Amino acid sequence: MARLIRTEKEVEGRFEEVWIVVEEDPLEQWPAGPLEVVGRPTTRKSGPARVRGEARFTADLRLPGMLQAVVLRSPYAHARVKRIDLAPALALPGVRAGIGPGEAEGLVEEAGYSGAAVAAVAADTFRQARAAVDAIEIEWEELEIVLDADEAVRREQFTADPRHYERGDVDKALAAADVVVEATYRTQSVLHNSMETHQAICEWTGDVLNVYISTQFIWGVRDAVASTLEMPADNVRVVCEFMGGGFGSKNGPDEYTFVAAELAKRTGRPVRCALTRREESTAAGNRNATVQRLRAGARSDGTIVALDGEYTNAVGWSGWNASTEGPMKMLYDCENVRTTTYGAKINTPPMKAFRAPGFVEGTFGLECLVDELAAKLDMDPLELRRRNYAVTNEGTPISSKDLEECYRLAEPHWERLHEVHSRSELEAPPGYPATPGGRSGGAVWKRGVGMASQIWYGGGGPPSYAWVRVGSDGRASVITAMQDIGTGTRTAMAQIAAEELRLPLDRVDVVLGDSARGPYASISAGSSTLPSMGPAVRAAAADAREQIEDIAEQRGMPRDAPVHEVVDLLEDAQILGKGARGPNPTGMSVLTFGVHVVEVAVDVETGEVVVERVAAIHDVGRIVNPLGASSQVEGGVIQGIGHTLSEDRLLDPETGRVLTSTLDAYRMPTIADVPEIICEFVDKPDTHLTNLGSKGLGEPPIVPVSAAIANAIRDATGADIRELPISREEMLRALERAKEKERRGAPAAV
Amino acid sequence: MELLRPSDLAELDGGVFVHGGTEVVPLLQDGLLSAETLVDVRGVVPRGVEGNVVGAGTTLGELEVEPGIPDALREACRLAASPQLRNMSSLGGNLLQATRCWYWRLDYPCRLHGGDRCHARDGEHREHAIFANDFCASAHPSDIAAALVALGARLRTNRRELAVEELYRLPDEGDRRTTTLEDGELILEIELPEVEASVYLKAMDRKRWSFPQVGVAVAKIGGETRIALAGVAPIPWRIDTIEALDAATPLPRTEWKLPLARALVKRALASLG
Repeated sequence: MARLIRTEKEVEGRFEEVWIVVEEDPLEQWPAGPLEVVGRPTTRKSGPARVRGEARFTADLRLPGMLQAVVLRSPYAHARVKRIDLAPALALPGVRAGIGPGEAEGLVEEAGYSGAAVAAVAADTFRQARAAVDAIEIEWEELEIVLDADEAVRREQFTADPRHYERGDVDKALAAADVVVEATYRTQSVLHNSMETHQAICEWTGDVLNVYISTQFIWGVRDAVASTLEMPADNVRVVCEFMGGGFGSKNGPDEYTFVAAELAKRTGRPVRCALTRREESTAAGNRNATVQRLRAGARSDGTIVALDGEYTNAVGWSGWNASTEGPMKMLYDCENVRTTTYGAKINTPPMKAFRAPGFVEGTFGLECLVDELAAKLDMDPLELRRRNYAVTNEGTPISSKDLEECYRLAEPHWERLHEVHSRSELEAPPGYPATPGGRSGGAVWKRGVGMASQIWYGGGGPPSYAWVRVGSDGRASVITAMQDIGTGTRTAMAQIAAEELRLPLDRVDVVLGDSARGPYASISAGSSTLPSMGPAVRAAAADAREQIEDIAEQRGMPRDAPVHEVVDLLEDAQILGKGARGPNPTGMSVLTFGVHVVEVAVDVETGEVVVERVAAIHDVGRIVNPLGASSQVEGGVIQGIGHTLSEDRLLDPETGRVLTSTLDAYRMPTIADVPEIICEFVDKPDTHLTNLGSKGLGEPPIVPVSAAIANAIRDATGADIRELPISREEMLRALERAKEKERRGAPAAV
Repeated sequence: MELLRPSDLAELDGGVFVHGGTEVVPLLQDGLLSAETLVDVRGVVPRGVEGNVVGAGTTLGELEVEPGIPDALREACRLAASPQLRNMSSLGGNLLQATRCWYWRLDYPCRLHGGDRCHARDGEHREHAIFANDFCASAHPSDIAAALVALGARLRTNRRELAVEELYRLPDEGDRRTTTLEDGELILEIELPEVEASVYLKAMDRKRWSFPQVGVAVAKIGGETRIALAGVAPIPWRIDTIEALDAATPLPRTEWKLPLARALVKRALASLG
């Protein structure tokens, strides 16, 4: 029976109360551990199509008569359009239409950052459209710019009111603490750099707008486009069959969709608006930079008695104030916690969600601070973390928490530190030349081990729906209008349906990626795809299975007879199952946990940091596909290494323009930078969480990477890392600081 | 735009030369270079290694597995760019590549573009020069150029012979060019002297596919030790001794390059014994 409930919905750490209709979900969870299909390593169902180039991404689509749109973007970080004349552009060959500020959502008159969209042109070819954009006559009035987040805070220039939080009495607890550590941490802005750039093709067929788009949220695009264009929602059809990465930056339609829709309307032809790689660096979002001024107080036995944090998110011209303080509030059992979080409104490109927004940055600060505290207490960092283990989430019960088990699994990796420390400083990492000219005859490689814990959301939630169709050929199709953003969703959904239907995996297809061909499905963000969609798919498969069992019984067969034998006489009749995602447990926090143990080698003369080994241990409930799960972890670790060591979106301090707009200047890790990565999972179903017991894994593996690397560097060299990325410049500076500290008498390893 | 494919040097008559296209094509696309006529010189520039002469059309990919050339040149090729780029890019073209200075690449009206200021000096310059950076703080990106300067290699063009070192000049108020190559002049061959030993060491901010933060080439030739650096000046930078690094004039955010250069020069010298 359908039931109307009010529930709390969380995406990317942001909560809202929503009304939803849920359906009863009477299914018992499967037993823990590997089943027939679920829990078994499974290669991707779409793998062959992908490697053959047959998978059609939005970027591959070329509709008949399609025009190409190019967007005119502000060269100024803050300026107002005084006068704009599209006529010279419209007179050029191949140009079919042009629009200016206010003529499509996202085309603005006041540009608040360099890269803000102002006008757009559609032409027969991309080249013609680009030439036309260059021909637009535009006069700007330059306005004052503020690029520094601290300056914006001083001016009280915020994207939203500052967020304050306090429990207990921090000042009193700090005054009474045996040990206090204090440090300021800074993280940089980094870019998503999805392989497929942000893009949409819009095509009108009568009153219906077809939107082919690279997106993480088919239904979100449908609703946002419909409400912006004041259309009936079902007149917007959204298609995303294969998707080339989003990492949080493709949760909504954005200006390129509205530009394509408007130009398509004006020309009567399909219009494609695709960002170039360079636009991707300025107008597609970023992980915002942060400044974190932190303090921790502890008793000499290691009990953390106070945590105090002042956080500034350099949000940009727009965007939201991410929960950078989240880990400080949630990770440890500490009675006295106080945080303030400022969202600085500055003239830089707007942030967008980026794989655990806020928590990646906040975990860097907090988990580095905790290690600095451990050093001051002369306590083992793992022991310190265990001693301050939080059983609840700020007093709210947690649906399942196996971080303690993660710590136990981490022990053998952590204990390697003795062996790591005993290795010769002459020993270069694999592939590196010996260093005969280095200090002490080449003894330049210092090694260390570091750890950091992970906390994040990832419980997903309702509503989400799926249908299952079984034909007389004994094959099943899972039908739902969700998207597979490249995370192996098709495979996981097929596994769940196959398990429930007792079918081999190759008899289950997954039909997704089209709002006109299936029911509402969850966003693929906030590590929510599997926990939101998996239970709905299982419920739909169970519905179909029960019908098949009833038919078996009527045929005089055992209820668990093989499906193909039961349905073989159905001819054109079909078994249709439907399923809905049930509610999350009331009064409980659903959270994911983990710990990483990282080994590094640091060349103390050249500042080179080599990550040699990462052991990533996560507690995300039941693992549906161990192979897909380890891919997720590897991807998160690699992206985290880029964030930690080499990626840095730089702005010209004078103009606010992005300087690192090409992939030779913005340096993501290559495969050569990838260390040995060991993935381990607790793999215990969350017994409170729906019929599946699985949480999401998209974001958790990137969360602890930077802090674990920084802590390993401190272990290796004695240098306190306070700033990302840990470039050679930062590393050499930190080593100098450590030497200085040693000269002043404090112990240091260098 | 027209594309010519001459098969004889005598056919050369103006235009922009292109070989592998890994530099010229992006510059054309970005509007940093304009050309009415593009001249594909692959038919006229020698390719391959014969004795101590290397055709300027030899790709970096061919050179990185060539046993007959000095270690410094082979290593400089191996550590440059990516396999895809090395398979396309020519030795001659590599010597002529422009700086990676983001201001220059983004077409700021900087001194190299004929303007009246160096935006990097006042702005974001963490990857820039520590020598000769007063007029223009750009850093020369070629690993191979530094190696050839250290090796004392000579060039033959369609018009003259010169030392690789003489190919480069510091830009100044009157002339913003960083090479001495004339219009229509084409590098044909590189001649390598007898080298006792040589080495190239390179610091990058990831393990592969990055321009040098600092590159150090050292060669021993007839009792002389020659040192040249990449990534530290607007052109490949020669120093006589490691002490010469003390004369560097780093900018606030390029100071870190100095200890890095010192460590690499020390190691390079030590590795040659």
